[in-house]
Amino acid sequence: MHEDAEQDRTAISLESVVKRYGDHTVINDVSLSVREGEVIAIIGPSGAGKSTLLRCINLLEVPDSGRVTVEGNHVDAGIQISHKDLVRLRRNVGMVFQSFNLFPHMTVLRNISLPQERVLGRSRQEADARSMKLLERVGLADKAQQYPSRCSGGQQQRIAIARALALDPHVMLFDEPTSALDPEVGLEVLAVMRELAAEGMTMVVVTHEMQFAKDVSDRVVVMAEGAILEEGDPADVFTAPTMDRTRQFLRAVLER
Amino acid sequence: MEHLAVVAQGVSMTLLLTLSSLLFGAIGGVPLALGRRSRIALVRFIARALIELLRGIPPLAWLFIIYFGVGTGVIELSSFAAAVIGFGLVSSAYMAEIYRGGLTAIHEGQWEASDALGLSRAATLITVIGPQVLRVSIPAAATFAIGLLKDSSVASVIGVQDTIYWASHESTVSGDAIVPFLWAAGLYVAMTIPCAWATRLLDAKLRKRVAR
Repeated sequence: MHEDAEQDRTAISLESVVKRYGDHTVINDVSLSVREGEVIAIIGPSGAGKSTLLRCINLLEVPDSGRVTVEGNHVDAGIQISHKDLVRLRRNVGMVFQSFNLFPHMTVLRNISLPQERVLGRSRQEADARSMKLLERVGLADKAQQYPSRCSGGQQQRIAIARALALDPHVMLFDEPTSALDPEVGLEVLAVMRELAAEGMTMVVVTHEMQFAKDVSDRVVVMAEGAILEEGDPADVFTAPTMDRTRQFLRAVLER
Repeated sequence: MEHLAVVAQGVSMTLLLTLSSLLFGAIGGVPLALGRRSRIALVRFIARALIELLRGIPPLAWLFIIYFGVGTGVIELSSFAAAVIGFGLVSSAYMAEIYRGGLTAIHEGQWEASDALGLSRAATLITVIGPQVLRVSIPAAATFAIGLLKDSSVASVIGVQDTIYWASHESTVSGDAIVPFLWAAGLYVAMTIPCAWATRLLDAKLRKRVAR
């Protein structure tokens, strides 16, 4: 038990995480700590391991070695992870995917209510009430009885955010949430995310939206080749990057 | 025309046998399909071996093995029960392969989203993956069902009183070798056409609703 205040304020901690696919090392000894309420943007060229690192946080990818702690729940990679540990850790973590991953055979309302009933044991009535509140919040209450296929990409992603929020997570992970969307449609998703950040949600966002990273995040983490190149205040990283590789990447994305 | 009334007596048995076997297979195919995808190599091997065995032996051989082999020993089996078990086992293997095809059609993100939401494996299969697999499996399952409806005629050999049984009976009694079987042929076609129709309709309806 760690009772000191410093420990309590850490929401996520990755320690020396390594992930390999065969001979290829995707994540090479990465450590990262995220404070409660902090918004982190992970940027970098494709193939840098950003998404893999994010997926290590809720153990969609199980690291080969290292230690993952989320809201006080530790998991040590390398030893067999019990299903109970996995469930307990994920209970605090919501995730939003690039491809939305809504359940196509359920109405929008069922998409959001079903996990509440199955995971939190809420009654259908309670779950539906919560779902409607969240749908209103993302501006899609009128879509409750529709199927996801009838919704635009931006709407589907907002529904996916509502679905994750319905389980009352302490931490939200976003894996390139706007990459599959038209730039204009992406704005409505970013607006919801901004609101969430303003309310104090702990967020880790893998993104190519540099403006969002600049404006909304408290800290930018730049990754390349499976490692963290540098991290810091967005104003510093964007205006005065210390590494050549960062400068090269930023030039490519900002000066196009 | 007088032959028709006799041959038609078997229609309900043909339908009952087909539907029972199909239901048996639809349920029996689930553990086999899941076994094929198990994380444990031994389970995968056993599921695969079972499927090959069930499919590789002709239905007629299964019927004889079950009716005369198992059914006359300690357990007494009616010819109908033996036929349902025989066709049901074979159907399980085919349905398992149909489900397996359906499973590969499900986007990996459906599993990941379920995991990330914290749904248990059982809840994921029952509420998320299962219904989608059933839906994509409908056309292949319908094709199989139509085949099964015709193949079920083999059961007359062990005395199940289906359409072919009565055609054969009528043929012997009346001495007419052809006409009763022509009536039977007509009845089989009359049964399969609405079946094909209904599935096409159902498939189109479901597709429209959940089209991605």
